[in-house]
Amino acid sequence: MRTIRFLPIFAAIFFAAALAAQTPLRVAAAADLQPVLPPILAQFQHATGIRAEATYKSSAVLTSQILNGAPFDVFLAADFSFPQRLIDARAAQGASAGQPILYAKGTLVLWTRNDAHLPAPSLDLLRGPALHRLAIANPQSAPYGRAAVAALHSLGLYASLQSRLATAENIAQAAQFVYSGNADAGLISMTSALTPQLRQAGRYFILPRSLYPPLRQGAVLIQATHQREAAQKFLNFLLSPAIQAQLAASGLTPAH
Amino acid sequence: MDWQALALTLRLATVTTAILLAVAMPLAALLVLGRGRWRAALEALATLPLVLPPTVLGFFLLVLLGPRTAIGRAITALLGHPLAFSFSGLVVGSVIYSLPFAVQPLVAGFAAVEPGLVDAARLLGAGPVRLVRTLFVPLARRSILAAAVLTFLHTVGEFGVVLMLGGDIPGSTRTLSIVLYNQVEAFDYAAANRTAAILLALSATALAAIYAGSQLRGGRRA
Repeated sequence: MRTIRFLPIFAAIFFAAALAAQTPLRVAAAADLQPVLPPILAQFQHATGIRAEATYKSSAVLTSQILNGAPFDVFLAADFSFPQRLIDARAAQGASAGQPILYAKGTLVLWTRNDAHLPAPSLDLLRGPALHRLAIANPQSAPYGRAAVAALHSLGLYASLQSRLATAENIAQAAQFVYSGNADAGLISMTSALTPQLRQAGRYFILPRSLYPPLRQGAVLIQATHQREAAQKFLNFLLSPAIQAQLAASGLTPAH
Repeated sequence: MDWQALALTLRLATVTTAILLAVAMPLAALLVLGRGRWRAALEALATLPLVLPPTVLGFFLLVLLGPRTAIGRAITALLGHPLAFSFSGLVVGSVIYSLPFAVQPLVAGFAAVEPGLVDAARLLGAGPVRLVRTLFVPLARRSILAAAVLTFLHTVGEFGVVLMLGGDIPGSTRTLSIVLYNQVEAFDYAAANRTAAILLALSATALAAIYAGSQLRGGRRA
C-alpha cells in the first residue's frame, strides 16, 4: 500500500532522471540569431519533443570551436564561408553539392538611440562629422562586421570613419555597444534592431543592399554528431514555411 | 608581431601598477592598523574583484559609467568622451580588476612587521603616515615588489574586461590578449603562437625574477 502511494513520486523521479540523461540537441548559432532563435527552439521542442539548446557567438569563434571538437550538432552561421570551411575540413556536412544549406539572408542596419542627439539614421549621418563612435562587429570573425566594412568601403567612407570605429567581438555585442549609449551609432543586424528593447530605444535605417555582398546564412550538420536524425529534423523545421515566415518577421530574409 | 599592441599592453600595465601602488599602500596600512567592523567590510570590498567575474566589472563599467547614467554623463563631460573604448577606460577597469593583487601582498607584508616595533613607534608619537613611510615600506619591501609584479602581470593578462569595454581600437584598447583572441578567430594559429609565447615568456620571466629575489633574501636572512 505504502509503495503504491509513493509510486507516482518514483515515476516522477525516474522520468526526470531520464529527461536529464538525454542530451539536448546543441545548436551553434551566429550572434545575429540571438533574438530570433529561442522561440523557434521552443516551438521545435513542442512539435517534436526534442529539446534543443543554442550557443550564440561570432561565426568564426564557433567555427574554430567546432574544428577543435566542440560538441555541437548543428551550426547556423551568418555567412557561407565559415560553414564551408568546416565542410572542407570534413568536420561538417551541408547539402549534397558540398555547400552549406541556405536558411536565411541577413540585413544590415544603421541604428541610433533616440536620445543620442543625432539626426535620424541615414547615409548622411555616416558621412557627417556628428558621429563620434560607430560600433561594428569584428570584420575578421563576424560576417556582419565584414558586411559593415564592405558597405563603408562602397560608400568611400572607410578611411574617414576608421578611427571612429569601435569593434565588437560579434554583432550582438555591437548592438549592445550602441544600445548602452557608449557608441552613438552602430551597424548592426536587423534582428537586433527589431527586438522590443531596441525598437523602443532607437531608430534604424536599412542600408541599401547594393552596398555589401549578400549575407547568405548557411547551416551545416556537424560530422561528429550523435544525433544526426534530430539535427536533420531541426534543419527541416528551420526551412519549413511557417518558421521561414517567422524569420522574415524578425529581420531575416527567407531563404527562398 | 603586433608591436603597437605590445607597447599598449605594457603602457596599460605600467600606468595601472603606478596608480594601484599609490592607492593600495594607504589602503593596506588602513587594513593592518584599523580596528572595528568596517575593517572587515573594507577588506571584503578590496578582495571582491578577485572573485568577481570580469564580465560583471565590464558590465558595470559599460552601463553604469556609460552615458546613460548621471555618473557616466559626469565622467563623459569630464573626459570629453565616454569611458568605454578609450585607454583611460581600460585604466579604470584594470585598477579595479587588479586591486586585490596589489592589496593582498601588501597586507600580508605589513602585517608581518613586528607588532612590538609598531607599538614602540606609536608610543614615540608616530602617526599612521610616518608608520607607513619609516616602518612598513622599508620592512615590507619584498611584498611591495610582489604587489607591483603581480599587478603588472595581472593587467597584462587581463582579457574579459578589455573585451567588454575596449572596442578593439588599435593603439588605444587593442591589447595583446585581444590580439591573440583575434588571431585565433582568424585561424592564424602561427601568429597566435607567437603572441601567446610572448605573453607566456613575459609572465614566466617576471615571476621567476621575484621568486629568485625572494630566495636570495631568504638565504641572506637565514
